[in-house]
Amino acid sequence: MSAVNTSRQPAQAGRRFEVAKPIGIGLVLAAMLPLVIMPLASIFIFGMSKGPAHFWEALTAPAALFSLRLSLITSSAATLCNVAFGLLAAYVLSKHEFPGSAALMIVISLPTAIPTAVAGFALLLLWGPYGLLGQYLEQTDFQVMFTTAAIILANIFVTFPLAFGVIKPVLDNLDPTFEDAAETIGASRWQTFRFVVLPSLRGAIITGALLTFARSVGEFGSTIMVSGNLAMRTQTAPLYIFTKFNEGDIEGANAIAVVLAVISFAIFSLIILLRKRLA
Amino acid sequence: MARDTVVTLFPETQAFAERDPGARAALSVRHLTKSFGAEQVLDNVSFSVAEGESLVLLGPSGSGKSTTLRLIAGLEAPDGGEIAVRGQRVEQLRARARNVGVIFQNYALFPRMTVADNIGFGLRIRGQKRQPRAEVVARLLALIGLADQRDKYPGQLSGGQQQRVAIARALAYEPDVLLFDESFSALDPQTRVGLRREIRVLLRELRVPALFITHDQDEAMELGDHIAILNRGRLEQVGSPAEVYNDPQTVFVATFLGAANVLDGQWRRGAIRFGADRHLPAPGHTPAEADGTPTKLVFRPEDVVLDSVPGPLDAHYYLGRGEVVECSFAGASETLTVRLGDVAIKALRIKWDTHRLPLGPGDLVSIGLKTYKLLKE
Repeated sequence: MSAVNTSRQPAQAGRRFEVAKPIGIGLVLAAMLPLVIMPLASIFIFGMSKGPAHFWEALTAPAALFSLRLSLITSSAATLCNVAFGLLAAYVLSKHEFPGSAALMIVISLPTAIPTAVAGFALLLLWGPYGLLGQYLEQTDFQVMFTTAAIILANIFVTFPLAFGVIKPVLDNLDPTFEDAAETIGASRWQTFRFVVLPSLRGAIITGALLTFARSVGEFGSTIMVSGNLAMRTQTAPLYIFTKFNEGDIEGANAIAVVLAVISFAIFSLIILLRKRLA
Repeated sequence: MARDTVVTLFPETQAFAERDPGARAALSVRHLTKSFGAEQVLDNVSFSVAEGESLVLLGPSGSGKSTTLRLIAGLEAPDGGEIAVRGQRVEQLRARARNVGVIFQNYALFPRMTVADNIGFGLRIRGQKRQPRAEVVARLLALIGLADQRDKYPGQLSGGQQQRVAIARALAYEPDVLLFDESFSALDPQTRVGLRREIRVLLRELRVPALFITHDQDEAMELGDHIAILNRGRLEQVGSPAEVYNDPQTVFVATFLGAANVLDGQWRRGAIRFGADRHLPAPGHTPAEADGTPTKLVFRPEDVVLDSVPGPLDAHYYLGRGEVVECSFAGASETLTVRLGDVAIKALRIKWDTHRLPLGPGDLVSIGLKTYKLLKE
């Protein structure tokens, strides 16, 4: 009896507030519409405005395909590098406390806080023709700036702490008894890491890699400084969009913009899916 | 489980019993010392666990018992002292080279490995091939009665099942000694009691020497062939459960293992004076000490005899007349608090005594003792 009554009461109270719900949702959507949703939608609308054939043609232009491929390759390389570094740094900083470890944490996290144009400029000042190291490279055949290597270096720099930032807290929260247990069972330090620690980090590693990759694929500011923006040589997808737009080739810019938007969307869906599965 | 069944299920366990036919200790600890900063956690602790026996290290939290286990396992380094496993000194060896099995308080089963993979882990890292490994794992799963759970993950098991898997995981690589770190404290009381019996039977059958760490006296009594009582980093007494309970050597041991009445007294002309000028003859075999030497009178609640008739009782010692102030019923027995002058005494009576002479608050009773001990602080 009483159970029926009490369960009905909140339902009635809820009905009184029900106007607030659609108004609230409506407000959020109204704000998002001009700020986020319409700009995104316009990429797709413009991309398809002259028909799918036109879109396909713009997308499969050699320079367009090249820029996409270059972006995927340089982003993958940067991701590989930063996940490996993030794993190492997270393990070292999580296991050991040493003088300066707090300062080191800050330095690792610094690159994402720096404006990307500044990051690109900093790389130029190091590797460029008159740079600290670049002036010596200038005398050899080996060049870093305005090559694929420069793009990878820029990507590494601006996404440096992303994987580390995801892996470190998971490692910090890992119960040390698991490692104690593995050790008493007879595992070496490497075996403990390989069979006990690493499997627990799987989710964090994948999430960190996806974040790094997503950020790298979209990187513009530092890339334009260090790459030279040479079509079919050092032009990444975001640079291609910018260049085509400047040339007045809206369709060309648009086709790649659609692809980049879809890639980012796919990556973030994956991250959200992964978080749900791991939780 | 019949002994023969176990031996056929798990033939290599015979090795536990036969590896060392001599009386050499499976585990021995000598003069172990450890400090964390300024705090001395262990002070000259020595004990040993004989082959096929179990020793319970009993103490309150902060007594240093977990540190002792971590030192033996090699997870911490001692400041001084010796640790020997089957006669071989191990304090310089890394944890992984000591061949001890640890069952942690939270079991520490690897969450991303199945039950079977957890149990097989020790053999896998020792390079054991898949096929023989699977056979050992299957035998151990049968031994702990979890054959149908082999492909589950630890998170899908109950606490009791997890503990059995943790034991199987340790047994798989045939450790020289098993160390249990408060392994029963996370279980609900019913599972705990049942599992404790099961483990006791299992260890007896396999003849694996074991060291248990606990703060639970019931657990200590049930699991230990011997009990070692640790207090603030010092070992107060080692003995069989009966020895430690019936003949405690310190006030701490008397009060920590079971309940005890402790009264202040002093020697006076070969007898004991306590309370407001009451006297008792010294217990037999106790050498008399100088007048005025302080001492503690220690006796268990069940050593107290109560009667309504005034005057000395049919007990060895007569304390005097007192008043019942509290009475708590516990089914098979009841515990009474009796006030004798300015001291309170706990008394325990079994059901038939309470029927013969029902007592409640306010009743006057004669108080006697069947036995008591004198201990120094």
